[in-house]
Amino acid sequence: MITITIDGKKVEVEKDTTLLQIALAKDIDIPHLCWDDRIRPFGGCRLCVVEVEGYDRLLSACSTPPENGMVIYTNSEAVINARKAVLDMLLIHHPLDCPVCDKAGNCKLQDLAYKYGSTESAFKEEKKHAVSAESPFIELNPNRCILCGKCVRVCWEHQGVGAINLIDKGFNTKISPAFQEVLDCEFCGQCVDACPVGALGSKPFKYMSLAWFLEERDNICPYCSVGCTITLNVRERRIISAKGVKNKGVNNGDLCGRGRYGVDFVYAANRLTTPLIRENGMLRQSTWDEVMQYLSIHLRKIIKTKGPDSIGAIGSPRCTIEDNYMLQKFMRSVIGTNNIDSDRFGYAKIQQAVEMTFGLHTLPISLNSPLDKDVLLVLESDITSTHPIWGLKFIEAVQKGAKLIVMDPRETKLSKRSSKWLRIKPGTSQAILNGIMKAAIDKGLHLKNKRSREAGNLDALIQLLKAYTIQQVSDIAEICSREFTEVIDMFLKGERRLTAITIGPAENNKGLGTALAASNMVMLLGDGPQALQMPATYSNTYGMWQMGITPDYLPGYEKITDKPGKNIFKMLYEKGQISALFIIGEDPLITYPDLNKLEEVLGSLDLIIAQDIRLTKTAEKFAHIVLPAASWAEKEGTFINAAGIRQKVNKIVEPATDATPDWKIFRNLSRAMHHPIGMDDLSALKEKIHQIKLHIGDEKWNYVPVPYEEMDPPDDDYPLLMVSGNIMQHSGAFSVMSKSLSHVFADSFVQINEYDAEFFGLKDGDIVTIESKRGQAKTKVRISDEVSRGMVFVPLHLKDSRMSELYVAYEGFAAPIIAVKIRK
Amino acid sequence: MKKVLLKNIENPDSALLTEYMRVGGYKNLKSAVKEMTPRDIIDDVKESGLRGRGGAGFPTGMKWQFASMDPKFPKYLVCNADEGEPGTFKDRPILEKNPHLLIEGMVIAAYALQCSRGYIYLRGEYPQAKVILESAIDEAYKKGFLGDDILKRHFKFNLSVYQGAGAYICGEETALIESLEGRRGQPRIKPPFPVNAGLWGRPTIVNNVETFANIPLIIEIGPKSYAAIGNTACPGPKLFSVSGCVKRPGVYELPMGTTLKEIVYEHCGGLVDGRTLKGIIPGGLSTPILTPDKIDCAMDFVNLPKAGSQLGSGAVMVFDDSVCLVKVYERAMKFFEHESCGKCTPCREGTGWMRNILGRIECGRATAEDVDTLIDVANNISGATFCPLGDGAAGVVLAFVNNYRDEIDYHIKYKKCC
Ligand SMILES: Cc1cc2nc3c(=O)[nH]c(=O)nc-3n(C[C@H](O)[C@H](O)[C@H](O)COP(=O)(O)O)c2cc1C
Ligand code: SF4
Ligand code: SF4
Ligand code: SF4
Ligand code: SF4
Ligand code: FES
Repeated sequence: MITITIDGKKVEVEKDTTLLQIALAKDIDIPHLCWDDRIRPFGGCRLCVVEVEGYDRLLSACSTPPENGMVIYTNSEAVINARKAVLDMLLIHHPLDCPVCDKAGNCKLQDLAYKYGSTESAFKEEKKHAVSAESPFIELNPNRCILCGKCVRVCWEHQGVGAINLIDKGFNTKISPAFQEVLDCEFCGQCVDACPVGALGSKPFKYMSLAWFLEERDNICPYCSVGCTITLNVRERRIISAKGVKNKGVNNGDLCGRGRYGVDFVYAANRLTTPLIRENGMLRQSTWDEVMQYLSIHLRKIIKTKGPDSIGAIGSPRCTIEDNYMLQKFMRSVIGTNNIDSDRFGYAKIQQAVEMTFGLHTLPISLNSPLDKDVLLVLESDITSTHPIWGLKFIEAVQKGAKLIVMDPRETKLSKRSSKWLRIKPGTSQAILNGIMKAAIDKGLHLKNKRSREAGNLDALIQLLKAYTIQQVSDIAEICSREFTEVIDMFLKGERRLTAITIGPAENNKGLGTALAASNMVMLLGDGPQALQMPATYSNTYGMWQMGITPDYLPGYEKITDKPGKNIFKMLYEKGQISALFIIGEDPLITYPDLNKLEEVLGSLDLIIAQDIRLTKTAEKFAHIVLPAASWAEKEGTFINAAGIRQKVNKIVEPATDATPDWKIFRNLSRAMHHPIGMDDLSALKEKIHQIKLHIGDEKWNYVPVPYEEMDPPDDDYPLLMVSGNIMQHSGAFSVMSKSLSHVFADSFVQINEYDAEFFGLKDGDIVTIESKRGQAKTKVRISDEVSRGMVFVPLHLKDSRMSELYVAYEGFAAPIIAVKIRK
Repeated sequence: MKKVLLKNIENPDSALLTEYMRVGGYKNLKSAVKEMTPRDIIDDVKESGLRGRGGAGFPTGMKWQFASMDPKFPKYLVCNADEGEPGTFKDRPILEKNPHLLIEGMVIAAYALQCSRGYIYLRGEYPQAKVILESAIDEAYKKGFLGDDILKRHFKFNLSVYQGAGAYICGEETALIESLEGRRGQPRIKPPFPVNAGLWGRPTIVNNVETFANIPLIIEIGPKSYAAIGNTACPGPKLFSVSGCVKRPGVYELPMGTTLKEIVYEHCGGLVDGRTLKGIIPGGLSTPILTPDKIDCAMDFVNLPKAGSQLGSGAVMVFDDSVCLVKVYERAMKFFEHESCGKCTPCREGTGWMRNILGRIECGRATAEDVDTLIDVANNISGATFCPLGDGAAGVVLAFVNNYRDEIDYHIKYKKCC
């Protein structure tokens, strides 16, 4: 600690900071335009200048570290004059078109000009007329730009993209994508929030409203499990736009493109407004009274004739914990069955692995986990796409000096920022992990820690790993063994290691075996479960599990030992297991695998109830009853994010006509069935949930050795491995409803390496048929070096692709990657 | 005085290694590497009193000592051959006529500073120098003066030329480093200084061409004899590039501290007959103009500041009564506006503003109020910019307005040159 004097007051400060940060922490206002705590100081705007005794020139506070005994004045005459001068100069170029600027009312330049009294510059010459680059999402208005460079540095240093820069120099400097081409980036909009003036704007929000008419309401993002706080701008009860606000939420103001631009799904054209009922094969409008009566009669009839276990339900990771709690309550007490499950193709594998190895019923991640580590290992996980804001922490860690190892056949943002990137063969992460463990055992590292030595099954693990020498694993993963050795050394030398894997329902490149191998590894190295980060997928995936949306757990992870229910593999992929199905907030026909089988089973059911915010494909084709649910912004509730943090979801706007919160639908239905389940209002329901005791399990380590297997090895007929996943802008059900997001990537596509494209005679934009052993789908070719040879990548969940037809509903250990062929 | 920096340049083949060696080239490198420790060399450079020839006049020995004290390796050696300041063309004869002198100086420096990698950052508009330098480097590699085992002493130093893209700001050492790293040329925040965190974050020693060219001489004659050349406060031979209204413009090698008068009237043959002296810019466009009464000033880092200007790069620009200084400064400001990197507000916006006003004065559209605005703007830029470029631009305008107000007022009043 050192002492400095700031405006006459002596203060003790850390050495490793800047005068600006000290002043801001002490509530001393120093205007600044180019500084942002997420990025390195720039010192360009010169607005933050202060007077320091002993210096004949003013120093920029944002880039000057304190020195012991420094005497600083932040408000002297010289300082004020310099600020005024800088403002005057900034206004030289500025068009002052505030009346037509979306930033007006929220603009730092406007505020400062107002405060320092210069609304007009002494400059009488001609203004700048720069031409802006084009972009589908981000509106660039270089004439309003004050060239603080924040957007450029946020985009590169913080966001890890580097899509824009300052070009030209001096008076003619302007911000632009490279070569003034069309801006083609990930459209996170972080630069827009960073811009202190109206030089960057969001096209979807353009001219929607001036800042003065907007009311700001916070909500939790409905997309991924990071659980960012989004500040929604509401005008006359309608959501106009969204932004991140510094110091708010787990994201501290950061947002990704989905959170920022995706909230308009609430107003999608296919929103359900009334209940629907199928009559003569067609869905027609109905009323709540009619459908409630219908359901009560038919459900009771099925219970009576076929028994309660002939009814099943699928819960939703996008609904609140209140909704999901009521669903399982309804199924368990009103219907009387444990046949409750959810999308089992993703996070379920993580849950299963965590229980099998650590003996835990749940393993939340920690959002800051990458920051205090010295080596990070990311396996076939595009974290900045699936969990964008958490992904930024990996970039931040790299900026701070951590080593990042990425194993992925695909080029991702993290691979670009990595210390070492190995393009392994798709789906071989498990073999890689086995190889690392084998190397650790050879070095005797497994003996260092008592818990590692004493964990169950060690001998079996050692036995299994014998086959995973560096050479063998390198052959499996098709990498160079020397590089693999280097990476292993880098990883094992780390003192604070972190391994991260995502397994979302759309990702087929990791399986239960991958999660198990990773768990084995962190135990073997003595790092423990905290060193393994496997986040839940959607906004409330974590909460849904905690609420017992699974055939074998009650709320609070209480294990059902006597009579577990059926999981979706049974309910949806085996004929005759159930005859009625309640689907909440899911569209199996779009997101579940093995479409042909699925359609066969769904077509055979007596009663399908689809409860959703919009008319899903499944509802359209198979539902007998369709119930309109209130969307995320239209109801109150709670999400639990991947870190296990409970966050309140707020009601921002009124529901679309008849749409009703899901929890209320179950309450009403149980009343209609003359079997009220209490919890008449939200506060009673919340209280009930509050009382749930959490059984997180007793941590007891146990190795589960699993050999690496290939589910569907490529052969001459099906030579390419097809990897599926999410892309930055789309993550499933909601995002495809968003008009803004669909602006960027609406149609499905397949990415293929240029060598393979040439080999198969394909050109960019060709419409092709992809065929697996199970089915086929048509899509468009995109040639890209983001994928390696021998593989293709398809984003799932995009409109009108029957991609899921190609997949198999698979319950085993391997990664469910499939071999395909591709033809014109 | 015997020429050192421009030795042998009348010889049309002076750039060849054989010619250079014929007049004793590389013998100082040999004696430095064989007879001196790195420490000895740094001490000698310190004792010699050599100050950097790039403009700021920073004591070279001190810079080297800071760099050698930093424990981080690798360290980089960079020669600043960006020579972009208008009026300055003193490095060019070394680059084109005496490239081996520069290389020898750099290799000695690399040995003293334990650098294994060096770059010559060459001005974009010197294509010929590039060819000459590269072939000289080739020759030096072949002779074992560069490479992995220099003079068979297990000392390694690799050198290459990197050509800039024509931005003046890339002569500023931190912008130069950004540019070398492949980024947009904009100065960096200091501290950290390049000696601690320069190229790729490593300790980096940046020196001017002429600075390096002085090193072999210090080795040859020893620091004490070197310190006796010229002004003892900042000794050594100095190149002056003289341009403008003199009979024999050109590059002159003279002892530091030679007076302006001697340079202009003895070495350059004085003004064209019948003209009178109006003013002299003594050290390149970014140094303030001097009025004729200051002509007795000694040209060095100590005396010029006393007279209200700076030595800068030693580029003397002479103006007689046939020259319109308003026009000169309008042109000068066009340069600064064009070369401002755009990073900081006062320079980016202010230089253009000043150019506008000067332009109006020159073409007779200005009012008296404009001059006040000009002074205001210049004052607001002074001391507020990120790097010295903007400061320099404001400084020269203020010196011009203060010293030549009559000429400006005449323009405004009569809408023509006086
Ligand atoms: C705007 C600007 C331009 C500069 N241009 C040059 C240049 O062209 N050549 C040069 O050697 N130094 C130039 N310098 C000075 C360098 O920043 C640096 O001080 C010098 O290269 C150090 O070398 P020295 O110690 O040998 O003088 C410039 C400085 C500024 C601020
Ligand atoms: S939207 Fe995001 S990726 Fe695109 S330029 Fe802005 S910050 Fe960069
Ligand atoms: S666009 Fe905005 S953030 Fe970017 S440089 Fe201009 S003013 Fe700054
Ligand atoms: S990171 Fe996740 S929670 Fe945050 S804004 Fe993006 S999608 Fe929403
Ligand atoms: S003073 Fe500012 S704008 Fe001018 S060159 Fe230096 S950093 Fe760039
Ligand atoms: S905030 Fe310090 S110079 Fe811009």
